[in-house]
Amino acid sequence: MRLLSGDARDALLTPLGDAGRSEEVARRLGSAIALGLIEDGEQLPSESQLAATLNVSTVTLRDALADLRQRGLVETRRGRGGGSFVRMSQAALAALSRERLGEIGVSDLRELGDLHAMAAGTAARLAAERASATELARLRDLAARMGDARDATDLHRLEGRYYIEMAAAAQSARLTRLEIEIQGDLAQVMWRLRPDRSAGSVAAERAAVVEAVARHDGDRARALTEAQVAEDTRLLIEDHITMTRSTAS
Amino acid sequence: MTTTQAPDPALAISEAIEGIFATVAEVRRVTLARHAAATAAGRRFADEDVRALAPAYVDLLRAPGEVAVGLGIILEPGTLADHPLRLEWWQWSPQRDAPVPLEVDLHPDSVGFYDYAAAEWFAVPRRTRSRHVAGPYVDVHGTDGYMLTFTLPMEVDGRFLGVAGADVLVTRFESVVLGRLGSHAVLANEEGRVVVSTSSRWITGCLLPDDELPPAVPLPRLPWALVEAPA
Repeated sequence: MRLLSGDARDALLTPLGDAGRSEEVARRLGSAIALGLIEDGEQLPSESQLAATLNVSTVTLRDALADLRQRGLVETRRGRGGGSFVRMSQAALAALSRERLGEIGVSDLRELGDLHAMAAGTAARLAAERASATELARLRDLAARMGDARDATDLHRLEGRYYIEMAAAAQSARLTRLEIEIQGDLAQVMWRLRPDRSAGSVAAERAAVVEAVARHDGDRARALTEAQVAEDTRLLIEDHITMTRSTAS
Repeated sequence: MTTTQAPDPALAISEAIEGIFATVAEVRRVTLARHAAATAAGRRFADEDVRALAPAYVDLLRAPGEVAVGLGIILEPGTLADHPLRLEWWQWSPQRDAPVPLEVDLHPDSVGFYDYAAAEWFAVPRRTRSRHVAGPYVDVHGTDGYMLTFTLPMEVDGRFLGVAGADVLVTRFESVVLGRLGSHAVLANEEGRVVVSTSSRWITGCLLPDDELPPAVPLPRLPWALVEAPA
């Protein structure tokens, strides 16, 4: 099944506020690629259509596309059947996320982590009361597949989907939409696979939450989720500090 | 002489449901008519037939008082001559003032493959050859809304062609029936999940504990049951 579609896709491709800088456009499109909203090989809408969707001028959009082309994330073919096509590149996504992580402040990362802990923690607690057998099976499957993730992008996609499915299992459309938005923000900074965070350990941690949900132990499901989000946030902040210090020196 | 009749929850629910299924039946009717025309012309049902049906679906969705937020058809794999998998689904989107088509990835090899044949609203009517309601569920893959999906099987000479269906927001369904339910009436689906209720203890989305509740009254031709919740 598609990771996200319909309005989820719209949520990330919403009109940009104020200046609508081309860097921001490039980043948005980058997170959409990282989350699987735009897939490898998919053709982007026409420049005028995409500029209108994002509410930026075609000049700004062209700059962003030129940037993405240079990074190797977009390929433009001329002639019949031509247009701009997405190219999935681990290295380019990692570079984009490193830049973003360098720019963003510690307090922004902390707030994103706080909001995520709240949304994901509450979702896990409510799912322990409300998840059906089908929903539990889906969550178990996602947790297991995280252990077999091929690369960083694959792992983050599965994680994103795990959190979104958990919110859906809580029977809350609002929590689900909030989680989709948070995953869009996280996708801008989380494309690296950390050596201290193997796919196997991530999978085991998520599986423990799913088992707490299955036992209707809402308190434990929430506590585990909050601890996991807090640890992920701490690692992101550590990355940010390391990166900023190495750039400064 | 006038007497105040106690509201009949089963009647209120079945009226609401029949109204929604009437729309779905109309989706099915126009689709099968087009299918019959193709057959009469001596050719297989094709992508162009499905595309030609879109205006009819949009008109149904735009009809005054229509409860559904999305509707269309989902075809059994292999039904079309030219497309192994095909759905034609139109829906209202919060940001737009006209219905838009639902776009999904139908390449089986892709990570984002929308495996509709496995979805409850497709698989159940295919198996049972009768109507079905899936939900309430958060529709992560289509609308992000809290949804009920009503589907009818489409058949020609006993051959399954797919389903015709409609999405109804749980809130909208509730607003249609809530006023006509008695006190402490709980409508639950086959998983024991509450669809709509007049008890603040057992609300929409809750799972009913199967050991604590009085026997439920099953509703005809639906995977739903009515429970008189303890006060």
